[in-house]
Amino acid sequence: MKNAKRFTGVLVFAIAISAPALVYAQQPNAAGRVKVVSGTAFIVRNGAQVPAKAGDAVLESDVLRTGSDGRLGVTLKDDTRVSLGPTSEVRLDKFTYAPTEGNLALALKVVRGVAAYVSGRIAKLSPDAVHLETPAAIVGVRGTTLAIRAGA
Amino acid sequence: MIDPRTIAPRLVVLGLAAAAAFAAACGPKSVAGPNRPDGALIVLLPDEDGSTGRASVSNPAGSVDLTTARRASNVVANQQPGLVTMSEADVKRLFGDALSALPPAPQSFVLYFRFESDELTEESKALVPKILATVKGRTDPEVVVVGHTDTMGSPSANFALGLKRAGAVRELLVASGLDAATVEATSLGESFLLIRTADETPEPRNRRVEIAVK
Repeated sequence: MKNAKRFTGVLVFAIAISAPALVYAQQPNAAGRVKVVSGTAFIVRNGAQVPAKAGDAVLESDVLRTGSDGRLGVTLKDDTRVSLGPTSEVRLDKFTYAPTEGNLALALKVVRGVAAYVSGRIAKLSPDAVHLETPAAIVGVRGTTLAIRAGA
Repeated sequence: MIDPRTIAPRLVVLGLAAAAAFAAACGPKSVAGPNRPDGALIVLLPDEDGSTGRASVSNPAGSVDLTTARRASNVVANQQPGLVTMSEADVKRLFGDALSALPPAPQSFVLYFRFESDELTEESKALVPKILATVKGRTDPEVVVVGHTDTMGSPSANFALGLKRAGAVRELLVASGLDAATVEATSLGESFLLIRTADETPEPRNRRVEIAVK
């Protein structure tokens, strides 16, 4: 009986996670989307640099990069928001947002330049699941807006 | 002879001048710092709702807590992270570009349904124009519609009912003028109750659709 209940739970979850694909075809594992772009801004995926435009999907492991005149703003699936000023680079090392499973993780690295961060649901549900860093420091977050500058 | 009565005030003036000179010499440096590749500057800012969260900054040499607005840590490799309070002007000067590129905060709406139906309550129907206006105010809107149910019936039936409710709201929004490609409908059935109840409990507040406009 208990197993049957668990099986139903797993089944419902399996349906739940496959549902978005059934109802509305979207980029399968998008972590978020580009919302704001001005000047020169790129998404670097698997080593290839592509100009960013509003509406572009952002995936785990992507690098966001701006030129000297660029700015870029992204909203992730859990409502975390990240933005870059000019000559900046931010890496989305990890993004997992499956609250039904309790599976949450966000790792962002500000590699260089300036960035702003506004925490989303992952930080609310599980503050320890958020990992923010620069080459020189690690930042622990408790539901917060932050501005970060890294390196030259 | 120096009149002793004038010494104290003079010392105060001297002290103030020295403090000002010290602040001028160290102030900007300790806040903005030389932008070294091995350094970092992390500033805690107020959230949009006016409250301020918390953050900690650490490196191998130590850790500091940021707990008030514009409290900042200036980090240099192998040194204990510093602690300063930045002026609004400095925050704007150093981070204005990045902050101006932050997308608007996602906004959520909750719509409620009649018992075992996919028809909205009258109050919820009245919210629709507000949702439309919010979507239209965004440059690249995404609308995520998630259906929820109470615990009456089986989980799988409730998943289906949640999806039906989300679908009905999606259709309503598209019929009201939203681009179908921007509206996504999904269901969480009875797995995310707003009001925690036992199984097989009718609860109107759990029969809802949550709409996130991003």
